[in-house]
Amino acid sequence: MKDKTTVFRSNVWETQSVVSSVLSQVYQALQEKGYNPVGQIVGYLMSGDPTYITSHRDARNLITQLDRDQILEEMVTKFLHK
Amino acid sequence: MARLVIHGGNALHGEVRISGAKNSALAIIVAAALATEGESVLENIPHDSDVGTICLILRSLGVEAWFDSQGRLHVNGKTLNRYQAPYDLVRKMRASFYCAGLLIGRLGRAEVPLPGGCAIGSRPVDFHIRGFSQMGADITIEHGFMKAQCNDLRGANYYINRSSVGTTINMMIAAILAKGTTVLENVAKEPEIVDLAIFLNGMGAKVRGAGTDVIRIDGVESLHGIEYSIIPDRIEAGTFMFAAAITGGDIIVKDIVLEHLRSPIIKIEEAGAIIEKGTTEVRVRVNGQLQPIDLETSPYPGFPTDLQQPLVAAMCLADGASVIRENIFDRFRYVDELRRMGADIRVERETAIIRGVPQLTGAPVEVTDLRAGAALVIAGLAASGRTEIYGLDIIDRGYENLEEKFRNLGADIAREETREVTDIFSQIQRVNV
Repeated sequence: MKDKTTVFRSNVWETQSVVSSVLSQVYQALQEKGYNPVGQIVGYLMSGDPTYITSHRDARNLITQLDRDQILEEMVTKFLHK
Repeated sequence: MARLVIHGGNALHGEVRISGAKNSALAIIVAAALATEGESVLENIPHDSDVGTICLILRSLGVEAWFDSQGRLHVNGKTLNRYQAPYDLVRKMRASFYCAGLLIGRLGRAEVPLPGGCAIGSRPVDFHIRGFSQMGADITIEHGFMKAQCNDLRGANYYINRSSVGTTINMMIAAILAKGTTVLENVAKEPEIVDLAIFLNGMGAKVRGAGTDVIRIDGVESLHGIEYSIIPDRIEAGTFMFAAAITGGDIIVKDIVLEHLRSPIIKIEEAGAIIEKGTTEVRVRVNGQLQPIDLETSPYPGFPTDLQQPLVAAMCLADGASVIRENIFDRFRYVDELRRMGADIRVERETAIIRGVPQLTGAPVEVTDLRAGAALVIAGLAASGRTEIYGLDIIDRGYENLEEKFRNLGADIAREETREVTDIFSQIQRVNV
């Protein structure tokens, strides 16, 4: 069975860039499939159910490699400019 | 009348593709009829008899529902114009009561028989009815029917006393076209709820929070049809995993959402199976005897009640005693049938104590409810000799091509038509003559 595990995170700056990159890719994949990307990403972050994220462009696999709290931490940090 | 005949003892090997989730499909097919603009085209719909029944019910209400040559289901709700659901169809399954939410939401009027379904204890629809009332519908129960009428369905705050998948789905369907905001609290968090919410949002609805304890729905004026693919059936996937485990097999279960199978995978690993996870598949291997386990069923993300029976069947050959507590439904009637195959199971109220035996032996057995049917098939696959399983119409309600899928994994299993009923009538005829 092909292992598609991707290992992320080495330092804070790299983590931020990984989260940002994954979210951008997921956003684009959801948009291409006709979903409301923000609503779907929020649904995933709130519930943990990967069904919210399309498997188009491997988006589901990408986002589930990150911890949800890690994504939320980065989003809050970025929003508050901390 | 059909029966399944299994000659047990073959370890399962190979790959099996999982069909679309029946429980998700039933909700989404009904919800598709909420749209008044365009048709929805639904992919990955399992071709089981419950799906057939819900399509017939929708047709009886004026909805267009038909399968194309690629197996996709087309649903067009524009022509929905009748509010009375037929008893002879609705009585067959509980999910048919979702039509109540549809009719109240679309037409403001519904007459729906109180539903039937699997014989797994009393499951009244009080919670649904209370919710409809809270949204402004006048409800009466007369002659076995729920009759609802409302001129102005409006959003409401509704706390569901006991987290219920059926109530959550019905309330979601009813609230989509209601005026204002509906807040549903203590809702079910099952993946089928999330699937329904994603589908509804695709049609133009505003549903937030599915998969959490609280769902918020802002009512919209209208919905439009979309193309949508149903999530894989986690219960079917679990059924194959436990079948592989009891036969000492090595199979890859494909086209799944791993997250939806988290608790079954944890328990099957605890029982000694070797698990390898891929992105959308899982390999299940068992070398040697299964180890006994203890567990309780609970709402998602806990261990699903629908897999309690397949799990109990698998534990019949474990190396020791397992203790399984059923917290959701009254669901141990099938145990008598497993005992006929040599299982050592004692049931005390909501708890089954399963002492592993060295061998099960094939026997004629009767299906008591859908998942019990799956449990008997699993036991038959591991038993020595011939098992005959009667009551296949119940298994056909929720499993698509079950015997074909098991045959492809190396099982000796076949569907046979029996002539018993015909024979009885011919004998009566001879007596009369």
